[in-house]
Amino acid sequence: MDFSANHIGFVLASYAISVLMIGGLIIQVLRRDRKLRAEATRLEAQRKAQHP
Amino acid sequence: MQYLANPTRFLKIANAVLPYVWAITIGLFAIGLYGGLVTSPQDYQQGETVRIMYVHVPAAWMALFVYSVMALASAVAVIFRHPLADVAAKTAAPIGAVFCFLALATGSLWGKPMWGAWWVWDARLTSMFVLMLLYIGYMAIWAAIEDPHRAAMVARVVALVGFINVPIVKFSVDWWNSLHQPASVFRMDGPTIHGSMLWPLLVMGLAYSFLFLALHLVSIRAEVAARKIRQIHIAEIGER
Repeated sequence: MDFSANHIGFVLASYAISVLMIGGLIIQVLRRDRKLRAEATRLEAQRKAQHP
Repeated sequence: MQYLANPTRFLKIANAVLPYVWAITIGLFAIGLYGGLVTSPQDYQQGETVRIMYVHVPAAWMALFVYSVMALASAVAVIFRHPLADVAAKTAAPIGAVFCFLALATGSLWGKPMWGAWWVWDARLTSMFVLMLLYIGYMAIWAAIEDPHRAAMVARVVALVGFINVPIVKFSVDWWNSLHQPASVFRMDGPTIHGSMLWPLLVMGLAYSFLFLALHLVSIRAEVAARKIRQIHIAEIGER
């Protein structure tokens, strides 16, 4: 890739926004999954303890 | 499909395949980006700007594909009442919305140097913008209606009615005069892109597809956990 080419800023901006959006999506999805599964496991364990 | 409709069985399979799906996704992105940014040539007219194609086109393909998945899942929910069908449609929407936003944003960044305009209200761009609004509307329904059963009923209608827009986006460049170029990969007479540019584009398309699969499986797993939490809270309220 020629970094001195015309309009290279548009190419770099396209890749930057793609990395940011996809990276943000991956982080958000993984964090939500981890949080909800931990909460579900905790509540299930609590419920089993209350109603053995 | 009936086999996978059982959430416990689905989660077992999803947990087993997810590490492989993530590994394939990373590998495909590495190969696709190397092909798109290093080995593929400049375009004789567009120069380096053509490299935007390797992130713009897969994002646009996925925006259409994910909405089709939502419509199919909604149809399955209406016809077969599969417990995971609504979950599959709901969890696909935010991922599809990001792909749709990326298609619009990178398209705008490609349009400015090539067309001289960030945005034009031509058929392809306008129908893609409508697809973005459909994604936002679909997600807004799930966020606004607290009862998941009522939300699912309304969301199914939006997903199925909105699916009309998918072929409109695809064929808009054939049906109307458009500034956007016509289809150059999925054509009856074969691709019009040179092989040196086509293979990185197809690999990037596969990378985006596997990324969607990975994110969708994780999102479904999270949504199943969210519903389990809701059921536990409802049971606790009922016992008081």
